[in-house]
Amino acid sequence: MSGPWWRIGWRNLGRNPRRSLFTAGGLAVGYAAVVVMTGLGRGMVAEMIGNGTGILSGQLQVHAEGYLPERSVHETIGGREGIDVDALVGAVAADPTVSAAAPRLYGGGLVSAGDHTLAAGFVGIDPAREPAVSAIMAAGETGRLPGAGENELWIGREMARQLDVDAGDIVVVVAPAADGSLGNDLFTVAGVFRSGLGDVDASVAFIPLDALQQLMALPPGRVHEVAARIADPWDAAAAEERLLGELATDFPGTAPRAWNRFQPEMVEYAALFESMEWVIIVVVFIMAVFGVANTMLMATFERRREFALLLAIGTTPGVILRSVIWEAFVLGVVSLTLGAILTFPVLVWWHNAPPDMSWLYGDFTMAGGLIRPVLRVEYPPEMMVLGAVALFATALLAAVLPAYRAGRLPPADTLAGR
Amino acid sequence: MTHEPTAVTTAAPAVRTKGLWKIFEHDGIVVEAVRDVDLTIERGDFVVLAGPSGSGKTTLLNMIGGLSRPSRGRIEVDGRDITDLTESRLARWRLDRVGFVFQAYNLLPVLTALENAEFTMLLRGIPPEERRSRVEELFAEIGMEGLEGRRPGKLSGGQQQRVAIARAVVGEPALVLADEPTANLDSKTSDGLIDLMSRFNRELGTTFIFATHDTELMRRARRFIRLVDGRVVEDERRDAPA
Ligand SMILES: Nc1ncnc2c1ncn2[C@@H]1O[C@H](COP(=O)(O)OP(=O)(O)OP(=O)(O)O)[C@@H](O)[C@H]1O
Ligand SMILES: [Mg+2]
Repeated sequence: MSGPWWRIGWRNLGRNPRRSLFTAGGLAVGYAAVVVMTGLGRGMVAEMIGNGTGILSGQLQVHAEGYLPERSVHETIGGREGIDVDALVGAVAADPTVSAAAPRLYGGGLVSAGDHTLAAGFVGIDPAREPAVSAIMAAGETGRLPGAGENELWIGREMARQLDVDAGDIVVVVAPAADGSLGNDLFTVAGVFRSGLGDVDASVAFIPLDALQQLMALPPGRVHEVAARIADPWDAAAAEERLLGELATDFPGTAPRAWNRFQPEMVEYAALFESMEWVIIVVVFIMAVFGVANTMLMATFERRREFALLLAIGTTPGVILRSVIWEAFVLGVVSLTLGAILTFPVLVWWHNAPPDMSWLYGDFTMAGGLIRPVLRVEYPPEMMVLGAVALFATALLAAVLPAYRAGRLPPADTLAGR
Repeated sequence: MTHEPTAVTTAAPAVRTKGLWKIFEHDGIVVEAVRDVDLTIERGDFVVLAGPSGSGKTTLLNMIGGLSRPSRGRIEVDGRDITDLTESRLARWRLDRVGFVFQAYNLLPVLTALENAEFTMLLRGIPPEERRSRVEELFAEIGMEGLEGRRPGKLSGGQQQRVAIARAVVGEPALVLADEPTANLDSKTSDGLIDLMSRFNRELGTTFIFATHDTELMRRARRFIRLVDGRVVEDERRDAPA
């Protein structure tokens, strides 16, 4: 029975093409709204997580078990003996999802130039490995990255402004050393960066790992962290799981942690956005149900004599009900086609060429992740499917009452126009 | 209930009503549209219900066809008591046993002439080739060949009624009920339709019951029943056939 009802439904929609198109258009716009809005939401989450983990932290970090949350200078990996840094970096990098890994040492102290002195956090990095892990290494504005073994410093634009220095200038660095003494030395500003992250640009100085170890009176085997880059941040939890096993024997006392552990607020934001997707889909299609139901009621009311005729010649109320539902299904197909035509070009274009919104607003951070002023859109595949399901559910739901009514018309009175 | 010895199933009359009443009540106004009608209509008959406007012709016809329910009394069609059937069963029963022709709004505007004519066969699950060949054959007989693909809006009133008649008889029902099938048509067209139905009556043995004001149709009736105020006041058998 589907063949003729499909055809009849289609032709009935064609009787009032303007009304049908208007209704289908409404559903199509609803679909587009759901897909594009969730795409934008996901773009923002991806931007937040991508930048939040990609700029500096990495998607996975390995520490000594007791390092977090205090981040004590003494809690280096492998304790006082330290570890074979290259071996650990190699083991982490061996994970299939890890594309690069690099060791880090953290410290703090003062940086002075002329009359200016600032408190700063120091990050000891391996200049050969770090650029493959953190995107900030590409944010240099002037000068260059510090060189391994050199007393060189790489600082943010804001710190440079406050110290009134730039690439090539000499500064004094003072840092409490592990042995209780106070390390101090002259460093050259190798370069100045601008990451867009206010705190980092104002108070973080990158120093070659070996130079920082020397300043802090630590041997080469002592680092706080190995940071790893994982292209898709959502792979990080599984990598953590794997590394937990891999590192247990050769590097006892180490703890691999995916970004969702050391940046839990990002996970919360992502969950918030995900719940908003549901709100969007429900709100959009609940609004649509009433619009479509109204149109369907009108359309079936206008045709009540035809339904009465159908009943008279032997169509059962059940078949009439189904015929109206079929019509709604056809409407759903038309709507989804329109919706796809409307949605996908916009989505693809938006995904590939996110519009620059810097005329409207600048960088901002969300849960510590930098959001650039672009409208980034990620494809939301489940939402494309769910939106389609919701669209059909809406059309069918909206048809239930009119369909029921059509099947229950009193044929004699209706045919008599009563 | 009396049992007539002749009323075995194979010889059951086309229609039998017993003490049939239809009473409408709206806002305290009571209309007795059909009053105590006992009627037996034989198979293969060609029956006209006549009577002034409001005399209950349509109401009686609708009850016989199961489109509305009697207030009192019982109806048997083709040996089957339909009085208490559910809406769905009634519909299914109509599909199998009854053809309808109305004065207007007989066809679905979105279907072609052929699709309208084959519609009841489609509901009954008859395969497309068979439906098509039966309708095409019928269309050739009623002078509708070449118009199969037209929608009702592109057919004359007479042509539309022909399609409706074709749809009513094509399933070989026990009964065709026609409520003013010739109203609104010029006499030449309506005479043609009467000829057509009379022919189907003779050739297929289909029982026809008409409600009409058409004097030509009354003249052609083999049984003539006049209603006044919902009662049968005249019931005349004419053996000079249609
Ligand atoms: N649904 C209804 N509600 C109230 N009254 C009704 C209803 N249907 C019919 N009637 C009344 O019942 C009476 C019989 O009507 P019916 O339509 O059967 O007459 P008719 O003989 O077919 O008339 P006509 O020749 O004008 O078609 C009329 O008084 C009519 O107003
Ligand atoms: Mg009438």
